[in-house]
Amino acid sequence: MDTYLTQPGQEKSRTSEPAEQETIVVIDDDYAMRLSCRKILSKMGFRVETFEDGGQGLEGVTKLKPSLAVVDLKMPGISGMELVTRIHEVRPETVVVVITGYPTVDTAVGAMKCGAYDFLPKPFSPDELRLIVNRGLEHHRLSVEMQRSEMERALLKRRFITFVSHQLQTPLVAVHQYLDVLKQLDSMESAAKRQEWLDRCLKRTEELQALIKDWLSLARIEGESFSRQWVKVDLQGVIAEILKTYEEMAAANGVCLESRIPDDTYFVVGDRNCLSVIFDNLIVNAIKYNKPNGKVTVSADALGGEVAIAVADTGVGIPEKYRPFLFEEFFRVERDETRKTPGTGLGLSICRKLVSEMGGSISVDSEVNVGSTFRVRLLEYRARAEEEEKKGSSR
Amino acid sequence: MPASLKILVIDDDQDFRASLRSLLESHGYMVLEADSGREGLRKVVEQTPDIIVLDIVMECDSEGYGVNQAIKYQDAYADYRNIPIVMTSSIDLSPDERFPMAGDLDMIRPDFYLTKPLDIPKFLEVLRRAAALCPSHGGA
Repeated sequence: MDTYLTQPGQEKSRTSEPAEQETIVVIDDDYAMRLSCRKILSKMGFRVETFEDGGQGLEGVTKLKPSLAVVDLKMPGISGMELVTRIHEVRPETVVVVITGYPTVDTAVGAMKCGAYDFLPKPFSPDELRLIVNRGLEHHRLSVEMQRSEMERALLKRRFITFVSHQLQTPLVAVHQYLDVLKQLDSMESAAKRQEWLDRCLKRTEELQALIKDWLSLARIEGESFSRQWVKVDLQGVIAEILKTYEEMAAANGVCLESRIPDDTYFVVGDRNCLSVIFDNLIVNAIKYNKPNGKVTVSADALGGEVAIAVADTGVGIPEKYRPFLFEEFFRVERDETRKTPGTGLGLSICRKLVSEMGGSISVDSEVNVGSTFRVRLLEYRARAEEEEKKGSSR
Repeated sequence: MPASLKILVIDDDQDFRASLRSLLESHGYMVLEADSGREGLRKVVEQTPDIIVLDIVMECDSEGYGVNQAIKYQDAYADYRNIPIVMTSSIDLSPDERFPMAGDLDMIRPDFYLTKPLDIPKFLEVLRRAAALCPSHGGA
């Protein structure tokens, strides 16, 4: 059954299964050959099953789903070449290594054409067999892994598109429904509802606009068509401006804003707009997910050529299990307290992209019901300047 | 009489519920609301609605299918099995058309399916048809 978006946690569990013992099938009419192959390969820790003709061998492959099959080309019944073709048809994932006592370039090429992975002329030493089997299995693992990641990517993309269109539809549906019902209601009923509903319509369209804006800026960051100017920026200047913008919002939420960053002290190299977007997102989050009478504190610290800027709130906090996914696109922590808080689920993924573009990093510490601290680390201007200087003088 | 029918609207969008409530009340229905699948199932048991209007996608997940499946198949809800369910979603194909290959098709097959935003005359017509199936109102 299709779902719009599986929670990130559920996706991961599949990859961490313990490795199963790999199965190898040996198909050869020569008893001594089967015996010695079994001995060598079993010692390597594989489960080995042997078959003495092509018919039984094919059945074995179908049933046992081995990672690798060692196939003798010259056997009574189904010919080796045909067998290789059939194995490739019924189980393309199984890597086939062909062995033969009559090695010619033609047989080798023919076997490869039928879908064999490699070719081993008889007689061969145990070492040669081990080597070729290991190489074949490595090939098998890689192709299985590749196939899986391709499937996951396709699935994720499909889900992502469905999810985004649903996110865009939801506010539109709500607004449409309000307007449509308003038209249907008789004048007395509609007069009572009109003001309230129109306000809600405005709110929902604003939400939609915010979502589109965030989504576009994310697409632009990814597309790198965002023009940037790398300059020396005084952090306190950026932070003070943002705090001023949100004074009203903070007051309405009963939250107090404070910057502990002194003027003209912490300088970084970056794009002023990018820095604004990053701290705008973090500060708005700190206000939105705070508690009444809460506090948002922005502070900075210089350490080993880096400036760490911390945006700390005294809010609801983020449960540990959600933290690994916090910076993923459209991820929102599902909690009763925050369900009604509007948000696009894109803010933090935008932050992470911009921070890493400036060569920095972002992290979070959090305790449920105590608060969260987001920390952005950026290269300090002085350190960057010294580095440049060194480069300059060594030239 | 359809006028006394109790309709449970399970949808996580409060605005959608608010407009639907006014519409339904103006047509003489009684409205119950639930903002999640879990809450919806609780209200089914507590208040025994006559018809359920069920959103498929809630909280980023197809929770609606779970509600539908629980009511139609789980023993705990055997008493409520015959309540007609009108599924809604902004996707314009009903689930059984979208997933023709699904093995557990029955679990996601709705009694009625409507695309959001609801076409109001069509929605009211579906409610009348659903009402005819209600065990408590002439359907049984």
